[in-house]
Amino acid sequence: MAAEPIVVIRELTKSYLQGDLNVTALNGVSLDILPGEFVVLMGPSGSGKSTLLHIIAGIDRPTSGSAMIQGINIANLNESQLADWRNQNVGFVFQSFNLIPVLTAAENVELPLLLTDLSSAERRKQVATALDLVGLADRGHHRPDQMSGGQQQRVAIARALVTDPALIVADEPTGNLDAKSAGDVLAILQSLSRDAGKTVIMVTHDPKSAAYGSRSLHLEKGEITA
Amino acid sequence: MTLTSFVVKNALRNRRRAALTIISVAISCGLLVTLLTLQRELTIPPESEAASLRIIARNKVSLAQPLPAKQLSTIEKIPGVVAVSPFTFFGGNFREETVTSFAQFAVDPVRFRNLIIEGRIAEGSYDDFINDRTSCFVGADTMKRYGLKIGDRMRFTGTFYPVDLDLKIIAVYQGTVDDRGVFFHHKLLDELMGNPGTVGTWYLRVASAEASNEVIARVNEAFANTSAEVRAETERAFQMGFISMLGNVKLLIGSVSSVVVFTLLLVTVSTMSMAVRERFRELAVLKALGFRRRELFSFILAESFGLALLGGSIGIFGAWALWTGIDLQKLTNGFLLYFEVTPRIMATGGVVAVFLGIVSAISPSIAVARLSVVQGLKTLD
Ligand SMILES: Nc1ncnc2c1ncn2[C@@H]1O[C@H](COP(=O)(O)OP(=O)(O)O)[C@@H](O)[C@H]1O
Ligand SMILES: [Mg+2]
Repeated sequence: MAAEPIVVIRELTKSYLQGDLNVTALNGVSLDILPGEFVVLMGPSGSGKSTLLHIIAGIDRPTSGSAMIQGINIANLNESQLADWRNQNVGFVFQSFNLIPVLTAAENVELPLLLTDLSSAERRKQVATALDLVGLADRGHHRPDQMSGGQQQRVAIARALVTDPALIVADEPTGNLDAKSAGDVLAILQSLSRDAGKTVIMVTHDPKSAAYGSRSLHLEKGEITA
Repeated sequence: MTLTSFVVKNALRNRRRAALTIISVAISCGLLVTLLTLQRELTIPPESEAASLRIIARNKVSLAQPLPAKQLSTIEKIPGVVAVSPFTFFGGNFREETVTSFAQFAVDPVRFRNLIIEGRIAEGSYDDFINDRTSCFVGADTMKRYGLKIGDRMRFTGTFYPVDLDLKIIAVYQGTVDDRGVFFHHKLLDELMGNPGTVGTWYLRVASAEASNEVIARVNEAFANTSAEVRAETERAFQMGFISMLGNVKLLIGSVSSVVVFTLLLVTVSTMSMAVRERFRELAVLKALGFRRRELFSFILAESFGLALLGGSIGIFGAWALWTGIDLQKLTNGFLLYFEVTPRIMATGGVVAVFLGIVSAISPSIAVARLSVVQGLKTLD
């Protein structure tokens, strides 16, 4: 069972109509990812990394091909099913943190839990666990503007893992961070896959970041080259 | 944190804008309630058919100038006049009061009977009023206000007239537009004044509302070029002090109310659009986290509803408190009688606020429904 891939991608294509021009962002991508892997997607700008990540995370839909996550073909889910699916199965980390400025760190982390049936005591407990995991146990009541970029990104990671999803996706999570903070963030993502058994998929174009992953994939013009 | 506190935090994130929105909704709703109350005040008489059947004829020079009592025989003969009585405003102060807080009129009880159209005798008998020349016929509101009962005496100190009155309450009426007035025998006033042979005004009843303009013209004409020319007008026109403008005023108030509502709509719609547009990226993030359209709609609706209802409540209840607390009748010398902010008017204001809340949520909701997560994430902060 453990060897069963969590992500199965077959002949995935995605094209956009830019004016009269048909832009192909993904061109027949096939890919298997095993549970607990830390996959790093590399490649030049515009090669389709984000597009692939978005489709796997269920926030974008392919033009053709299939994306099976944990045995579910997510293309078959409707908008609201997909929303529920994301809430339960995917944690997002973005380049620009994307925390809600009027909420404290703890409240930001709690957001995805508001959609669950958990009691407020249970929610508080999970929030505390998640903040502890990213080393911000004592920063729960700080607002984003009172924290450094590295701390904000760690709050974002706590928000991504608070629902205990199987899959964590990160699109250039260190793109806005200094080397030290980037190292912290990457170490956390690495430990999530290594110690907590999460499947992590991260987009980056920094080879040093790629070293934290368990496997690197190269995209070029919408195709996997290595 | 709960979903409710999340909505509240979002709504208050731009405190100054939220405050300005609430204040403008409050002021506009208060203004609307005031305008509707004014409109009601001005339309009470036309709604009462009786008031358009009655005409008051006064001295053309001024209201304070009396008219000769002998005009009665001429007026009686004018076609279209069904009944006529002398009608003299006494303007006395009740008991120890230093202002005239309700009107007293000297009338001819027998003739006056035919001028009473609306309302009913609540207590006592009108015949007793006719038969007792020191009795008075009192409105139920005044009875209640002073805790009076049949048989009590009402003493008035004259202000226009250098005489005082001491009247016995013999009958009570109720159900007219204004249940406050006190009516007494004109003969009593004549005696006290030494029979000057004058009346304050004439009170006429016409056969139909359509006939009133014609009768008014005939009455005015009958005394043209005499030593006491008269000016006749319908009862309500007399009270309000203007005639033809009434229709225009209603139209004006209606238009101003519509403009108020429309402007208010622009304010709330643009506030909500701004509030949502600047949060597009966050809404996209919420979508990514698993929030569905339904939830995002309810956030937006709750926010716009909250702002509109809070502002609306402040405005509506503020106007109610203001107009209930102020004695407008005194301030306006009786021009505004009741200026009552009725539950119906308050409900209308409430409906407008709810309508604003819903309408201003529509366009942001559509924008959010269309928003794709990927597009939303690309929007710059
Ligand atoms: N919404 C869109 N409309 C049109 N073209 C798009 C859109 N999103 C992405 N693309 C195009 O698809 C290609 C891949 O984009 P993306 O996946 O964002 O690349 P990467 O993340 O590797 O930089 C690019 O050529 C980009 O211009
Ligand atoms: Mg990208």
